[in-house]
Amino acid sequence: NASLDREVKEGFLCPLCLKDLQSFYQLQEHYEEEHSGDDRHVRGQLKSLVQKAKKAKDKLLKRDGEDKPETGSYESFYYGGVDPYMWEPQELGATRNHMDFFKKHRAARIDHYVIEVNKLIIRLEKLTSFDRMNIDAGKIRAIEKSVVAWVSDTDVPFCPDCGNKFNLRNRRHHCRLCGSIMCRKCMEFVPLPLAYKLTSGTREARSVTGSQSQSPPTGGGGNVSGMGSRRGSISSLSSVTSMLEEKDDERIRCCLHCMDTLMKRQQKLEEKDHVPDIVKLYERLRLCMDKVDERAPEYIRMAESLNAGETTYNLDTAGGLRMEVQKYYELIDALSKKILTLGMKEEPQPHQKTLQLQRMVRYTATLFVQEKLLGLMSLPTKDKYEDLKEKRKQEQEKRLTQERLVSRLRQDSEKNRPAASTNGEAPQAPRAPRMTKAGGWLPSSDTLHTCGELEDPLLQQIDNIQSFLRQAKAAQRHDEVAMLEENLRQLQDEYDQQQTSLAIALSQRLAQEESLQQDELQRLEDRERGEREHRAQSQAPGSQATYTWQGSLNLTDTGSLHGEEEGEEEVTPKAESSPLSMRAFPALTDQDEESPPRLRRLGGDVTPPGGEGQNSSSLNPFEEEDSTPVEDPSNPFFEEIQKEHKEVANGKKEYNPFEQEEGGEEEQGQAEGATGNPFEVKEENNEGNPFKEASGCTPPGASTNPFEGEDEEAMPDVDVIEEDLLLQQIDNIRAYIFDAKLNGRLDEVELLSENLRELQRTLQEQKSKTH
Amino acid sequence: MNVTLAVKQYISKMIENSGPGMKVLLMDKETTSIVSVVYTQSEILQKEVYLFERIDSQSRDNMKHLKAICFLRPTKENVENLIQELRRPKYSVYFIYFSNVISKSEIKALAEADEQEVVAEVQEFYGDFIAVNPHLFSLNLSGVARGRSWEPTLLPRTTQGLTSVLLALKKCPMIRYQLSSDMAKRLGESVKQIITKEYELFDFRKTEVPPLLLIMDRSDDAITPLLNQWTYQAMVHELLGLNNNRIDLSRVPGISKELKEVVLSAENDEFYANNLYLNFGEIGTNIKNLMEDFQKKKPKEQQKLESISDMKAFVDNYPQFKKMSGTVSKHVTVVGELSRLVSERHLMEVSEVEQELACQNDHSSASQNVRRLLQNPRVSELDAVRLVMLYALRYERHSSSILPSLMEELNRKGVSERHRRMVTSMVEYGGKRVRGSDLINPQDAVAITKQFFKGLKGVENVYTQHAPLLQETLDQLIKGRLKDSQFPYLGPSSLRDRPQDIIVFVIGGATYEEALAVYNLNRTMPGVRIVLGGTTIHNTKSFLEEVTLTAGAGQAERVQRAGGHPNRR
Repeated sequence: NASLDREVKEGFLCPLCLKDLQSFYQLQEHYEEEHSGDDRHVRGQLKSLVQKAKKAKDKLLKRDGEDKPETGSYESFYYGGVDPYMWEPQELGATRNHMDFFKKHRAARIDHYVIEVNKLIIRLEKLTSFDRMNIDAGKIRAIEKSVVAWVSDTDVPFCPDCGNKFNLRNRRHHCRLCGSIMCRKCMEFVPLPLAYKLTSGTREARSVTGSQSQSPPTGGGGNVSGMGSRRGSISSLSSVTSMLEEKDDERIRCCLHCMDTLMKRQQKLEEKDHVPDIVKLYERLRLCMDKVDERAPEYIRMAESLNAGETTYNLDTAGGLRMEVQKYYELIDALSKKILTLGMKEEPQPHQKTLQLQRMVRYTATLFVQEKLLGLMSLPTKDKYEDLKEKRKQEQEKRLTQERLVSRLRQDSEKNRPAASTNGEAPQAPRAPRMTKAGGWLPSSDTLHTCGELEDPLLQQIDNIQSFLRQAKAAQRHDEVAMLEENLRQLQDEYDQQQTSLAIALSQRLAQEESLQQDELQRLEDRERGEREHRAQSQAPGSQATYTWQGSLNLTDTGSLHGEEEGEEEVTPKAESSPLSMRAFPALTDQDEESPPRLRRLGGDVTPPGGEGQNSSSLNPFEEEDSTPVEDPSNPFFEEIQKEHKEVANGKKEYNPFEQEEGGEEEQGQAEGATGNPFEVKEENNEGNPFKEASGCTPPGASTNPFEGEDEEAMPDVDVIEEDLLLQQIDNIRAYIFDAKLNGRLDEVELLSENLRELQRTLQEQKSKTH
Repeated sequence: MNVTLAVKQYISKMIENSGPGMKVLLMDKETTSIVSVVYTQSEILQKEVYLFERIDSQSRDNMKHLKAICFLRPTKENVENLIQELRRPKYSVYFIYFSNVISKSEIKALAEADEQEVVAEVQEFYGDFIAVNPHLFSLNLSGVARGRSWEPTLLPRTTQGLTSVLLALKKCPMIRYQLSSDMAKRLGESVKQIITKEYELFDFRKTEVPPLLLIMDRSDDAITPLLNQWTYQAMVHELLGLNNNRIDLSRVPGISKELKEVVLSAENDEFYANNLYLNFGEIGTNIKNLMEDFQKKKPKEQQKLESISDMKAFVDNYPQFKKMSGTVSKHVTVVGELSRLVSERHLMEVSEVEQELACQNDHSSASQNVRRLLQNPRVSELDAVRLVMLYALRYERHSSSILPSLMEELNRKGVSERHRRMVTSMVEYGGKRVRGSDLINPQDAVAITKQFFKGLKGVENVYTQHAPLLQETLDQLIKGRLKDSQFPYLGPSSLRDRPQDIIVFVIGGATYEEALAVYNLNRTMPGVRIVLGGTTIHNTKSFLEEVTLTAGAGQAERVQRAGGHPNRR
C-alpha cells in the first residue's frame, strides 16, 4: 500500500517489540527474523499493542513534530504530480493512410467500369436511332441483333439469374444490350424516354464530331445475322410467336445487370446538376454564421473598450455593428427555420432522415444563436459612456500625476541638494527644481500642467502640497515636512466635506426625479390599460392577417427578398431627404459588406417626427403592398392600419410593435410546439424588424442621426439614453423568450413576457415624457 | 497520455479532413460508443455533423448532399456493409477511417466496389477503445476468460484495443506481466507480436525512459470490485450503473422524462468534474451549495423586477441561470437517488462490515457482523451475497471458518441458487490458489503493520479504509521495487530507471476505485503519468456476471455469446 510506506516512515517501529528500525525493508526483515515464530493470528496481541502504539505515536509526534505534518495523508508528502486533466497537450495519435493503395486498385476497376457503361450507352443509342414504331418486328430484330452478338440459345439451358430451366413455356429472352439470355421473369425493359435521356449526351457529342459511327458496324452485322439464321432454323415457330406477342414498340428489353448499370448512370446524370433547396439555404446559413464569427469578436472588443471608457472606438460605430450582428442572428434564425420546414407540406412527406437532418440543422443554429447572442455584451448608453470617459480620464490623470511625481522625485534625489525653505506657492513656479544662490532648494509644482486637468482648486492645492511634501522629505527638512503635513490634512478635510455635501445634493435631486417618474408611470399605466382594451378587439384579426400575408410570401423561395425590394422602392421616394433609409429592411440576402453597418440603423431612425400620419405608414411594409392607406375593409391589414392611425390620432408618436407581436408570437409559439409553424420565421423577420428599428426612433428635437451624435452631446437628453438601454434590454429579453419557447419552458416564457411588457411600458412612458 | 484527448483529436481530425458542408457520421455499434463518450451531440453538431448513422442501418435514405465520414472497426461485417454501401452510394463523398489495422485484401475489395469514385480517404485512426476519463479506458468486453485462459475470440479483440491505445498515445512500451496469470502472459505476447509485425507504425520518437505496459489479472484482486463505493463516480457506477458515461435513471420512481438517461461527463459538466472523486458526504455539501447558488440566481415568479437595474441584473444572469438549471436538476436527482438507495439498502452498515472484512483481521468480530447483517431483512440479496463472498475470500483457509453456516444463512434468507453458487465460483476465481500477490495474508508483516498504522491514524473514514492492491503494486513499480519474480519483463531487456509513462491494463476489468487510486498517484507522483485500462469497468453486479461467465456455471451462456459474435475479430 502506497500510503503505508510513508506511514511507516514515521518511525518504522516494529509493532511487536516497538523497536525502532531505520527503513521499511529493515522492518520487514526484522519482523520476519524475530517474530516469525509468533502466533499466526496476531489479533490477540494487536489489541494490546494499539495502546502502546498510540503512546509511541504521541511521543514521536512531539519529538519531531516540525518535520512531519500530522495529517498522515500521503498527499501532504508528495507534490509535483499532475492531475490527468492537466496533462500537457499531445500530438495527434498515429495514423496510416491507405489511399494510394486504394486508388491504384480503384483505377483499374474504374477503367473497366467506364468502358462497360459507355458500351451500353452506345448500343442503346443505336437501338433507339431508328423509328421503332413504323418498322416491322422482324426488321427491328435484325437491327437489334446487329448491335450486339446474341448468345446462342443452346449454350444456356438455364436462366443464369434465377436458375429455372428453359422450355417451351419458359422461353429464352435476349438482352438487347449485352446479348445475354434470361427468362421472362428476370427480364427488364428500358422505356424509350429513358433511353433517349441516357443517350442524349452521347448524341450531342456525336453530332458535333460527325456521325460516322452511327451506321452499324458492317463486319459485326454479318456475323450476327449468321447466328440469327441458325437460331431461326432451330426454333422458328417459337420465334414467330414471340415476335407476334412481344413487339417492343416503346421499350427495349434488357437483362437485370444492364438495367442496373443504366439506372446508376441515370441517377448520376440527375444528381450532377441538381442542388437541393436545403443545400442552398444551408450555404446561406453558414455564410451568416461565418459573418457572425467574424463580426462578433470585433464588436465585443469595441464594447469592452467602450465600457471601459476608452475612446478608441466610436459609440455609434459599435451600435451599428451591434445592429449588424443582431441582424445576422435573425437571419440565421429565419434560414434555419426555413430549413426545418422544408418539404413539410409536400406529399409524400420527406424521408424521416431528411426531416431529422433538418431538425438537427435547426437545432445547431439555435445553439449557435444562444451561445453567441447571449454572450453579446451591451453597450453603455451615451450618458453612461460620457461618465465612463470622464472617469477614465480622471484615472489616467491621476496616474500621470503620480508618474510625474515619481520622476520628479527621482530627479530630486539625483541632485540631492539642500534647499531653501521658501514656500513655493507661486503658481508660476518653474517646472524644474531651481538652484538658488543660497544653495537652498525650491520645491517646484506641477500646477502649470495640471491646472488644466484638475478642475477643483482644492485638489490642485492638495496635489501641490503633496509634491512639496515629498520634495521636502527627500531633502530631509523635517520641520517643513511637519508643517506641510498639517497643511495637507486641513485641505483634505475641506475637500472631503465639499464632496459630501455635493453627494447629498445630488441624491436629493435624484430622489425628486424618481418620485416624478413614479407619478408619470402611474398615469401612463392607466392610459395603457385603456388602450390595451381597445387593442384587444383588433388583435385577433390582426394576427390572422399576418398569417395570410406570410403565406403568400412563403410561396416564393425568395419571398423575403421580394419584400425587401418592394420596401425599398416604396420607401425611397418618401424619404428622399435621406437616401439611407433604403436600408430600413432586414436584408435577407444582404451580402455586400461595403454598406457600413450604421446605415441600417439610420434607416430606422430616419422618420421625421413631424408628419406621423404618412411617415409611419412608410415604415410598414404591409401597407406598402397596396400602397394606398385607404381604409379598405377587405384589406387584410385594415385592422393594423386603423390601429396605427388611431394611435397617431391619439397624439402618440410611437406605435409600439411589441405588444402586438407578443400576442402573435405566443399563439404561434404554441402552434410551433405541435407542428413547427413555418410562418413564425416570417413574422419575426419581416414584421418585427422594421418596427423594431422604427421604435429605435428618437423623439423630435434630438435628431438621432448617429453622424450628428457627437455634436449633440452639448444638449444631452437623459430620456434618449434611457431608451437606448431599454431597447437593448428588449432585444435581449426577446432573445430569451425565443429560447425559452424553443425549449418548451412555458413558465419562463410567461415570466419573460411579463418582463418584456414592463420594459415596453417603461419605454412608452419615456417617450410620452419627452413629448 | 490523455486517452480522451487522443480520441477527440482523431475525430476532430476526421471531420476537419472532410471540409465544409453538411456531414453524416457512419459508425458501427462499437465506434458509436467510442465517439459518444468523448463528444457530446452539441459539440459535434458545431462541426457540421448533423446525422449519426449505423452502417448496418436499413433505414438510411439517399442524401447526395451529405458527405459521409465512416468511422468503423475493421470487422468483416463492416467491410462487407461498406462494400454494399459503395456499390450504391447514398452520400456524395466517403471519408473512411478504420479504428485499427486493416488488411490489404480488404482495402482492395473496397477499391473494387468503389465504381463511382466516391471514396476520398481511406485511413487507419487508432481510436479503438472507450476513453472514460483522461487516464482511464475500457474496451467494454465482458466474459473474457474461460476458466483460467482466454475466451478465444476475445484475445485478438483485446490485443487490438490495447495496441490501439499504444498507437493513439504514440507509445512503444516495454511489457511486464503478472506471472501468476497465464492470460496476462498471452496478452503480453500478443501485443508484442503486433508491435513487431507493425514495426513501422510503432516507430515513435524515442524517449529517455521507455514507456511501460503492465498487464495484470483481475483474479489477483477479487476484493476491490466487491466493495460498496463512496466516491461519486464509483458510487454512481456501483448503485446506478455507468455505461459509456451515461446513467439509466428510468427505474427511479417518479423520474421526469428528460432525466431518464443522463450523461455524466467531466468534460462538459463542471460540477461533476469537481466532484468526481469526492466522497458522498462532501458531495452532499456541494450539492447543497449548488442549490443555494441556484436559488439565488433563479428568478422568482413573484419577484417583481422593479427597476431597470433589476432587469439588467436578471438579463445578465439569465444565461448562467439556464445553464445551471440543467446541471442542478441532474445532480440533485442522481444524488437523491443514491441516498435513497443507501438508506433503503442499509448500505452504511453493509459497507462498514465490508471494509472490516477487507482491511481488518479480526475473524470473530467479522463473522459476527456478517451473520448479523445476513439476518437483517432489509439487506438486499446482492449485498448479502457480496458479504459472504468477501468473507469466503478473506478467511478462505481460516481454521474456524463459518462459511458453511453463512451459506445456510443465505439459503434461509431466500437467496437464489444462482447467487449462492456464485460464492463458490468467486473463490475459484480469486481465491488463494490463483493469487500471485499477497492480497490478504495474516502472516504478512506488511499487512500487519499496515493494519496497525491504520489504527494509529484513527481512520478518518470507516467506509474508505480500503485501498486497492493496484495502488500498492503501482507504488512499488514507480519506486523500482516491483519484483521481477512476480511481474517479469517480456523479452530480455528491462528498465533501469524509474518508469515515467505507465499504462496498466487489467484483464477481467478495472474498477473506479482503482481509477481513483491511479488518479491520486498521478497527482502526487512527480514525473509519472499513469493510464489505467481494463477489458471493462466493473461494479459488483457486472463483476459477478464476469465471474459467472468465467467459471463453469457460465458454460451455456458462453456458447450462446460466442454464437452471437461469430465475426468478432
